[in-house]
Amino acid sequence: MEAPSTVSESVITLSEVTRRFGATTALDSVSLSVQRGVVHGLVGANGAGKTTLIKHVLGLLRAEGGSVRVFGLDPVADPVAVLSRIGYLSEENDLPGWMRIDELILYSRAFYRGWDDAYAEELRKGFALDPTKKIKSLSKGQKARVGLLIALAYRPELLVLDEPSSGLDPIVRRDILGAVIRTIADEGRTVLFSSHLLQEVEQVADHVTMINRGQIVLSAPLNEIKELHRVDGRLLSLDEIFVARVGKA
Amino acid sequence: MRSPAAAIVWELGQRRRWGLIAVTGYLIVLAAIKLWVLQSGRRIDLDDESFALVVIVPLAATFIYFLAVFSFGLSGDFAARQSMYPARMFTLPVPTAALAGWPMLYGTATMAMLWLATRVFTIWPSDVDVPVIWPALLAASLVAWTQALTWMPYPLRGLRVFVTVLWLVTIDTVILIALESKAHEGVMLALLAPHVPLAYLVARFAVARARRGDVPDWRLGEIARAVRRDPFPSADRAQTWFEWRQYGRSLPGLVAILLPFELALLFAFSHTPELIFETLLLVLFTPPFMAAFVAATVAYRMTPFLATRPLTNGSLIAAKLKATMWSTLVAWLLVLVGIPLGLRFSGAAPVVMERVHRLFEVFGTPRAIAILLLVLAALMASTWKQLVQSLYIGMSGREWIVKASVFAAVSFLAAILPLAVWISRSRYAMAVLWNNIPEIAAVLVLVKLSAAVWVAMRLHDKHLLSDRTLLLGALGWDVAVFALYGLLVWIFPTLLFHAYALALVAILAIPLARLSAAPLALAWSRHR
Repeated sequence: MEAPSTVSESVITLSEVTRRFGATTALDSVSLSVQRGVVHGLVGANGAGKTTLIKHVLGLLRAEGGSVRVFGLDPVADPVAVLSRIGYLSEENDLPGWMRIDELILYSRAFYRGWDDAYAEELRKGFALDPTKKIKSLSKGQKARVGLLIALAYRPELLVLDEPSSGLDPIVRRDILGAVIRTIADEGRTVLFSSHLLQEVEQVADHVTMINRGQIVLSAPLNEIKELHRVDGRLLSLDEIFVARVGKA
Repeated sequence: MRSPAAAIVWELGQRRRWGLIAVTGYLIVLAAIKLWVLQSGRRIDLDDESFALVVIVPLAATFIYFLAVFSFGLSGDFAARQSMYPARMFTLPVPTAALAGWPMLYGTATMAMLWLATRVFTIWPSDVDVPVIWPALLAASLVAWTQALTWMPYPLRGLRVFVTVLWLVTIDTVILIALESKAHEGVMLALLAPHVPLAYLVARFAVARARRGDVPDWRLGEIARAVRRDPFPSADRAQTWFEWRQYGRSLPGLVAILLPFELALLFAFSHTPELIFETLLLVLFTPPFMAAFVAATVAYRMTPFLATRPLTNGSLIAAKLKATMWSTLVAWLLVLVGIPLGLRFSGAAPVVMERVHRLFEVFGTPRAIAILLLVLAALMASTWKQLVQSLYIGMSGREWIVKASVFAAVSFLAAILPLAVWISRSRYAMAVLWNNIPEIAAVLVLVKLSAAVWVAMRLHDKHLLSDRTLLLGALGWDVAVFALYGLLVWIFPTLLFHAYALALVAILAIPLARLSAAPLALAWSRHR
């Protein structure tokens, strides 16, 4: 594993990334840089290209044009070096339903050198998860908590959350936001957080990127965005800014 | 659509329309041939092989397909505790009796019509008296019971497979005994008539139970929970465990279900040597046959969860290969323990031992032992090969490739079977084939090695396997080929077989190209 880089370094760099699915252009020459130690919010409507972008970061999609670098590495060419430093939680949450929670914890800890048993147990108890329960018997919120436990327990350098709160109750959403806050409390760790629940993004993000129809329409620090969108001296909410920006696009 | 009955039949028909069109097309072709035969006044008598090829095989395939369609078995987990009845249909504003009744009515009617159509449209061998009613009732009963037993929730995983297979085999056995006893058609009808109503009552109970979410649980999992598992020593071991738990247990499970029934035949045939050996052959071919079945039915999916494991594509494939090896070994352990027990307790052991002694006398002890071990190793290797040789298709993650490969395999079989029958009947064709076997084998070897070289170059260019792994793989394959070649030369006299022919056989027998294509297919699926 490579030594942690300096704070100013880009953890994720996308340069002119293009991806098409048939006639649909999911990403159109997207360039993006996510700096180490920040919470980067990725916002956009359904089908805007957020998940496609995240899949490129994870190496699940190969860029048709342009390049993707995570920790300076190509995630397609070197999946082990990249994925062993990323914690990932998706909206789909496709954890294997036949496993019990304790089996999933044992299975997952084998992949990560930095797995912290004490932290995993603390998270399990905090989330009130019964280790003998099968994943398929859990509610959607419980599954999200298990996914979060697995994504956090090795204290990854980069936490990637793809629409993690979608369809979940406020208590689970609070747990997820808590996880983001805990992650950034560890110095030098980075979060890429995609959501269409803009109020949540607004609560935790340092930097926001708005994406629409496969193109980035705005990418800047949150404070800067809010200052730029002051109307009659009033700071607009991220919701209002999003509607104004994407409505025009 | 104004009624639930019409909606249910539309759904069943619409989802499987291509299969139904194919079956209808087949029946139309049968009817056209029969009409032509009747009009032209010709007399056609099919021999056993042709009849099996034209009628029995397609009919049996259609029968199994209909069993799966009408029990909703094509989109469910056969081994799961939960009912296989689609849960989405439980919310329809329809009584449970209708939910169970309409699919059963359509299933039983379709099966009965399938038989009647086959009975009417087929050119049957002239010496066979083909009954009309009771086979239709038998087909309807089998589909009705399959529906009832697959829709039932069970307290244990895998119990559905056991109960369903056991009950269907029991019904078949009763009918076979009645036929052996030359039972009158009235008796056959009396035996079969109660089945559909009884199955309907069971199905109604099953759907009602599943509809209210009532899934019994004997909680045998508690025993497993009491056993504390140690942490996995490495990521590779964890992934092998994952593959074993998800896919590896299917083959030993199926063999364990079938084996007692097959070995039970030894008790029935313990005084007929030919039937004892046929039963043993059946038992020995069960693992490779079931391995082919498992490989065809397991749907490998590269989920985001699996794709984001920090493992190389080579390690993911290696875990699959190791799990399939365990699967093969456990399945064969069951067979190797079961056969001596079956022979011992059925009293058939002396018959088999007598033949084994004769084999030792003819070939000499070392050669006879080598032949027996080679046969066993070949069967075990064949079982493993069946499990892994189509991995590259499943791992591609493209449904169109899976469907195209099934179509290609069926088309190939459809072409090769009649050709094989024709060659076996023609002395000239047999002679030409026999004389040109080395050339044919050489062409196949050339194709295999060319494909392997292409795959190896792609693996190297894409850095999917390290140079060391590629070299070790090639070296291992060479060693296996030479070992097999040496064994074949030692066992078979070179007066009968040329040494180069045995070398070609050894090269063709050891898997290479398709197996090495699996990491390539996985990378294609994992990084789309």
